[in-house]
Parts: sequence; C-alpha cells; structure tokens
Amino acid sequence: MAPTIELSGLEVQLGGRKILHGLTGAVHSRAIGLLGPNGAGKSTLINTLLGFHPPSGGTARVLGLDIRDAHTDLRSLVGYMPENDAFVSRMTGVHFVRYMAEISGLPPDLALERAHEAFVYVGLGEARYRKLGTYSLGMKQLAKLAQAIVHGPRLLILDEPTNGLDPPGRKRLIGLIREIRQASNTHLLLSSHLLHDVEQTCDEVLILRDGRIAGIINLEEERKSNRRFLEMEVMGSGAGFTSGLGTMGCECAAFGDSRLKVVLPAGVEIHDVYRLAAEQGVRIRKLNYRRDSLEDIFMNAMAQTGAGATNGRI
Amino acid sequence: MAVYKRRYESYGGALTKRWSRAFVLTRYATRDLFRSRFFTGFFILSLVPVLGFAGYIFVANNKLLHEVLSFRSSATLPVGEEFFAIFLEVQTSLAFLLTCWAAPTLVAGDLSNGALPLFLSRPLSRAEYVTGKFAVLAVLLSLMTWIPALILLLLQAGLGPDGWLKPHLWMIGPILWCSLIWIILLSLIALAASAWVKWRILAMASIFGVFLIPAGFGAVLNAILHTNWGNLLNISYMFQEIVWAGFHASYQGGEGAIPKSAAWAMLIAICLFCLHLLHTRLRAFEVVRG
Repeated sequence: MAPTIELSGLEVQLGGRKILHGLTGAVHSRAIGLLGPNGAGKSTLINTLLGFHPPSGGTARVLGLDIRDAHTDLRSLVGYMPENDAFVSRMTGVHFVRYMAEISGLPPDLALERAHEAFVYVGLGEARYRKLGTYSLGMKQLAKLAQAIVHGPRLLILDEPTNGLDPPGRKRLIGLIREIRQASNTHLLLSSHLLHDVEQTCDEVLILRDGRIAGIINLEEERKSNRRFLEMEVMGSGAGFTSGLGTMGCECAAFGDSRLKVVLPAGVEIHDVYRLAAEQGVRIRKLNYRRDSLEDIFMNAMAQTGAGATNGRI
Repeated sequence: MAVYKRRYESYGGALTKRWSRAFVLTRYATRDLFRSRFFTGFFILSLVPVLGFAGYIFVANNKLLHEVLSFRSSATLPVGEEFFAIFLEVQTSLAFLLTCWAAPTLVAGDLSNGALPLFLSRPLSRAEYVTGKFAVLAVLLSLMTWIPALILLLLQAGLGPDGWLKPHLWMIGPILWCSLIWIILLSLIALAASAWVKWRILAMASIFGVFLIPAGFGAVLNAILHTNWGNLLNISYMFQEIVWAGFHASYQGGEGAIPKSAAWAMLIAICLFCLHLLHTRLRAFEVVRG
C-alpha cells in the first residue's frame, strides 16, 4: 500500500530559522495523528504539505503526489481546517461554505446543496443563515469543519480542531471526526497536542519534537502488543518475590526496597502475582494496574535525546 | 451527506473547469459589493456623466436645437479627440473614488479574518486569487470608462455627419488602452494598499494617500528645485499626460510636462512594485523574521 504521507529529508526554513530538520519517514494509515509539544513543527509540517511554505530541502509525497510539483492537484484532494479563526465574517454560514465548495470546483447548485448538508451534518443546521461573525467559538470550529468537508476531500487535514472547545463541544467534534473516518474513504491528518483526541481518532501517530521526527507509531499494532504494567509497593523480603516474578516471565524493575514495576507477559494474570506474594510472605500494600497508553509512548518519545531522537520508529 | 440522512458522504460528482474557479471570487465579491446601497448608489451616479456626454452629443448634432437655443457652433466643443479625452478624465476620476471604496472590501476583509488559508488550501493559486479580485475592479471600471466611451463614439457616429466615423476610428485605440492603463494601475495600487494595511478604513485612506501625498511632495520639489521632475511623483498627472498624448492633444491640466517615456517608466515601475507587494503580503501565513 502506498504511504499516505511520505517524507524524504523534508527541510523547511522560515524567517532565517530552520523549523523542520530533514524529516524522513512514511505513514500508511488512513487516520494519522500529528503529535508534539508546542513549537515542535506540527503546523509548519501541515502548511508545507499544503504548499504554503516551500521546502528548503528534500520533499514529501501526499497520497502519492509530490508537494513540490503537484501542489495544485494535491489541494484538489484536501480539505483543511486551520487552527486559527478563518472565515469571512460578513457572510452567512451556508453562503460561506457554498463559496468554499465552489472554489473547490463544485458547480453552484451542487455547492449550495452540499453546503446545507455539511451544515446540518456538523450540527449547525439552525444557525446556517446567521452571519459567521456572530458565531461562538465552538460554532466557528464546526463551521470550519463544514467548509473542510463540503467538497468531499480525500484527505482531511485538521489542525488543532478541538482548540478552545468546552468538553461537550470537544466530544461532539471528536465524534464527528470518527464518523467521517468510518463512513467514507477519507484519509485524516489530525494535529493536536491533546493525546486523548489523537488516541480516539487515529490509527498511526507521527510524533515531532524540535522539528524532528521523534517517532512513528502504529497505534493499532501498539494496542495489539499492548504491555500491561503493575506498579506495586510491597513489604517483606522482596528478593524471592522478584526472582519468582522473573521465573513467571515478568520483566521486573525495583525502585528502592519496596517499590516494584512489573511488566506482565501474556498468560500471567494479577491473581498469579497475588499467589506468588502469598507464597513468598510478601505483603502488597499498593497495586496499580495499567496498560501502556499513548501518553507513555509520547512521553517516552519526548524523553529520548540525541541518537534516540532520530527519525523512525521508537 | 444528504440532509435527511445526516451522515457523511464523499463527493464524486462533476467539477467545474479549473480556469473558471478564480472567477468564483469575482462573482461573490461583486455580489457582495452591490449589497451595499451606498456602493450601488455611487456606481449608478458615476454613470450620470455618461448621460450628460450623450446629451451633449445629441445637442451638438441637432441643428434644430441649435437654432432654438441660439447656439453658436464655434462656441461649442466639437465631438472629437478633446471631447473623448475630457470624458475619460471625468470617468477615471470617478473610477478612482469607486475603487477607493470597493478595493479594500475585496482583500482587506479576507486578510483581517484570516480567510486566506482557506482560499489557498483549495486548488487556487495566489495569482488566481489576485486575478479573481482584480477582475471585480476591472469589470466595474470598464463599465465606467471604455465601454461608455465606445458607446458615445458609436452614438456620435450615428448622429454625426456622414463619414464622421472613418477619420475618427483611430480613437478606439486610445480609448481602450488609456482606460486599460488606468484600470490596471488603479486596481493594482488599491489591491496592494488593501493587502498591506488589512484594515478597511485605513486601506481606503492609504489609497488616497498614495495618490495625494507623493503628488504634494512632487509639487514641493518642483517649487523648490524649479524643475518639472517632481511630477513623476504625481500618478494622476502622469496618467493624464499619457491620455492627452494618446488623443494627440496637449495636456491642459497642469504645467511642466515630463517626457512621456519617463511617465511610462514610472507607471510601469509602480505596477511592478504593487505586484511585488501583493506577492509578499498575500500568503496563507505570515512568516515572522528574526
């Protein structure tokens, strides 16, 4: 399968400062999350893929199209929801979305039809004849989503879509994004620093840090091979207990005399650990069971330095 | 994505021709301009002088009216080169005022609302964006300048003496190119000023400023240095000189002619500078240096 986005030594320099440092990697999934702390280069990467910033070195291919020489064709396939406020305030919502649809190439009558449909779909049906300048922040976000999907793009690029939304608004927007992903063959590139949003909507994650790729992770594979952890505080002689855990196939790390972190292999359950503790005369004072979350993966990627921060999988 | 189904569906229908999409901007912007009663009123008023000139042609060619009103033929301006030069001078002045009102709404609004990334993330280049907005002004100013001028020419050909048209046919050339120069120059200056300033009222003021402030500065230079080269800073002066030269008449509007080649070079330089400004300012995202 051809990669959705393929980066080949992509470099971007803005205002005399290098923002993206020779990004190389490929992401194949239909829903890709772009993660990274503020200033990592997420928006710059999106803007470069859209052709807003010319690469100073290397190139990238999106849906098989090179961003250097096919950016107009590429833009025909893309729906973009920018991070910042972007609208024509004196226009009504439906008029604005129709306008955007027509620029994307839809004939006027179909553009109007799709604009109404997009507005109803995102839940702004009642407000479609109001001027955009009067919309609340949440409504503006939804209107931006409507204009991004009105022409039925093959790739939907969402830059911080849940910014400034209250929890119900955020939940609703994430629900819509998931629905769009499931209901069509639309690819998704979602940039966010909210891990939960990415985890809920994406199959693969590209993590950026300081303009470099800190990791490319297939969330589906990670979920399948998801490691389970036990964080424990124990009392009593721990040596026999830890060697017993080792015999069971657990990876075990001790912190001081009483704290243990244990990675459970497949087939070993918590009650096996309790049984071993009883056999060894160890009292478990505290036990915390959890799975490896995107947050762990992300924090791990952020913690890596130097050679560990090279492009590719972490 | 049917309304009643309320679910997302991709679009796989017909698409319009790529070249036509820039003119979607023209259509929407023109419609938007004419939503303003003030603008519509002003546009209609700007066509009133055309009726005046048409009336003059009718009177000038009507012998009965001459006798009734006791006109002396020698006291009236003949419908010829000078007549059309004056017509263009009047209409281009009105075109300037109309542009000052219309241009800032075309670009400054998009910039101040951050809408440019939405336009440019679609299959629309920056050049096509400018073309689409430029076409709005081009259509409006054409309706005020060369189109009525050609209608007046045809009116005179119809009402005037037999054989009037043939020796005056050459005037179609200066009518067209003088109007086009003004349309291009005025539109580019107005769009560049709007893109630079972003705020509508300020953009309006800056368009006035571009025409008036350097002209005043040029006049001061002329007075202090006893030269005519200060007129190179007066855009209106240079244009009028070119218009009158086009109609084979000497410009009556000011003193101290400058070489036509210098006026041409200056106007071309201004256009190029405006294109540079548009190229610099009309970007999806501004890059802050430093």
